[in-house]
Amino acid sequence: MGEIVLKDVEKSFGDVSVLRDINLTIKDGEFVVFVGPSGCGKSTLLRMITGLETVSGGQVVIDGEDITHTKPSSRGLAMVFQSYALFPHISVRDNIGFGLKIAGLPKAEIDAKVAQASGILGLDALLDRKPRELSGGQQQRVAIGRAIVREPAAFLFDEPLSNLDAALRVQMRIELIRLHERLATTMIYVTHDQVEAMTMADRIVVLEGGDIQQFDTPIALYDRPVNKFVAGFIGSPKMNFMEASPGPDGTVQVKGGPALKVPGLDPARMTGRMTVGIRPEHIRYAHDAGDLTGKILVEEQLGSDAFLYVEVEGIGMVTVRAVGERDFHSHQTVHLSLPPETCHVFDESDLRINEN
Amino acid sequence: MTKSVRWQLVAAVVITFVFVAPILWMVLAAFKTINDIYAIPPVWVPDFTYLDNFKLLLSENWPFLLNSTIVTLSATALCLAFALPCAFGLVYFQFGAKNFLADWILSTRMMPPIAAAVPLYMVFNGAGMLDTMPALIIAYAGFNLPFAVWVAMSFFRNIPKEIIEAARIEGCGWFQTFRIVALPLAKSGIATVATFVFIFAWNELLLALFLTTREAKTFPVVISSFSTVTKTYWELISAATIIQILPPVIFTILMQRHIVSGLTMGAVKN
Ligand SMILES: Nc1ncnc2c1ncn2[C@@H]1O[C@H](COP(=O)(O)OP(=O)(O)OP(=O)(O)O)[C@@H](O)[C@H]1O
Ligand SMILES: [Mg+2]
Repeated sequence: MGEIVLKDVEKSFGDVSVLRDINLTIKDGEFVVFVGPSGCGKSTLLRMITGLETVSGGQVVIDGEDITHTKPSSRGLAMVFQSYALFPHISVRDNIGFGLKIAGLPKAEIDAKVAQASGILGLDALLDRKPRELSGGQQQRVAIGRAIVREPAAFLFDEPLSNLDAALRVQMRIELIRLHERLATTMIYVTHDQVEAMTMADRIVVLEGGDIQQFDTPIALYDRPVNKFVAGFIGSPKMNFMEASPGPDGTVQVKGGPALKVPGLDPARMTGRMTVGIRPEHIRYAHDAGDLTGKILVEEQLGSDAFLYVEVEGIGMVTVRAVGERDFHSHQTVHLSLPPETCHVFDESDLRINEN
Repeated sequence: MTKSVRWQLVAAVVITFVFVAPILWMVLAAFKTINDIYAIPPVWVPDFTYLDNFKLLLSENWPFLLNSTIVTLSATALCLAFALPCAFGLVYFQFGAKNFLADWILSTRMMPPIAAAVPLYMVFNGAGMLDTMPALIIAYAGFNLPFAVWVAMSFFRNIPKEIIEAARIEGCGWFQTFRIVALPLAKSGIATVATFVFIFAWNELLLALFLTTREAKTFPVVISSFSTVTKTYWELISAATIIQILPPVIFTILMQRHIVSGLTMGAVKN
């Protein structure tokens, strides 16, 4: 079991408040990812759950038990560090079995569990080596092995893959997803990487400036971001933002562009200054006609997609994602249209005001 | 061999000779009679089978050699027993006056041992501990504590923080973390500290002169007694000094094997 509830959790270092009003309920067996820009407090939040960092206010509850002031060794959690943090003076076998030995399990049982974990992670041939004799990927596997043998209430990961090269990262990502399916244990995973967040998470916590911006499924974050920050943070390339103001007949007038009749937008919630957001793949593009006219500054051709960076007079740079497109090139003129049903509207305090 | 390398070699030989010469002279003197030591022209190479100096020395003074051994090993052990947990706590525990406490510990080192000699004499006198080995053990361990704490702190600080954190999450309490993880990883630091305390305690003369009279005398005190108002027994001093310098040399060589760098390599990825 591993339901983790944070109630009004706060953290400050001295006078500096780092996290405020953190309320989260992470369900048993859920895979939750914390994302946010550097320094937003992801690691601090994770470390408060482990007990490595003290909590300045509020409660941390695991399975109904208030563990706010319980020491880390008694919380029954396992953590995988970005730096792996293996014990360098003992073998891989002893590293994996470390927690079990501390817990006083009989040797036969430890050996059996270590063998099982090393089988899952493909470490059988490496058990008698010291950590320094392993590659980065292997070391990370040992760290994961050390975590899974203890059958913890939850796994906590702090950017576990960021020291690996790109190919290995993809492989480990898939392995972690499969591991989660197999163990069905609660996992909390901190990352900078959009793709990791989107692909691995059941739900994502977006943190910024010490506050939770949104806590929802990856698709909900992508399709219905609550504010401009989340809209801009989730998705790559980023959502395009354009200044706008209220237009005639309940429309939104894009500055230097068309007036859009965005569905689900209550004119009463409009403010004088607004922002219209549209994702690069939602912009329609054509050689002959459209709402906006611009010039392609750069064409990034990936084969599967072409990213067109279009300079539109009065609006600025607009990114267009043209799936499978081969026919638009740098320096050409292109016409763009903004389908209103794909647009997001943010008010002057950057909250999203169209409902859908 | 280029010219500059040759000159470096010559310089190295000369410098080495300057440092080794007294020891060499002493080794030679230990195998001479007092008459040979003063002989002119000098007796350069003595008869190395002449062991009377050693026999005489040890037959009378072996209990004091034993005292020295007991005091030195105990003081080293006592000092480490206090310094290591203290340093660990100062590095890893979070509490208010942490830095102040560490500085304060160091500041006690600024006092020269001589300044403490009289007070120590009075304290041990009051406790009825004069001329006992525990008095010396406590004094030596105490004098080396600040240094030992600071060196041990620097070695604990070099252990990546995550390793300590991992141990705690894996279920270790503070004491287990200290014993199972931190100590093995600070092994080279412990060897360094132990070597320093060992050499200090083994060679200490001043406090031993103050605090002992007969029973608990250490070997350096014995050596100093060979130089009397009327006569200096150079042959005994030489023999005793050879015995005196051997243990630190052996201890240092033994410890050197443990002073390996890069022990934490591969622990964390940077
Ligand atoms: N021990 C500390 N003392 C003072 N401030 C700290 C301490 N640890 C973290 N902070 C501050 O708290 C804030 C959050 O840090 P944290 O490490 O949680 O960020 P993060 O989201 O994990 O960043 P990154 O993505 O770079 O790892 C930062 O502004 C940091 O400077
Ligand atoms: Mg972090």
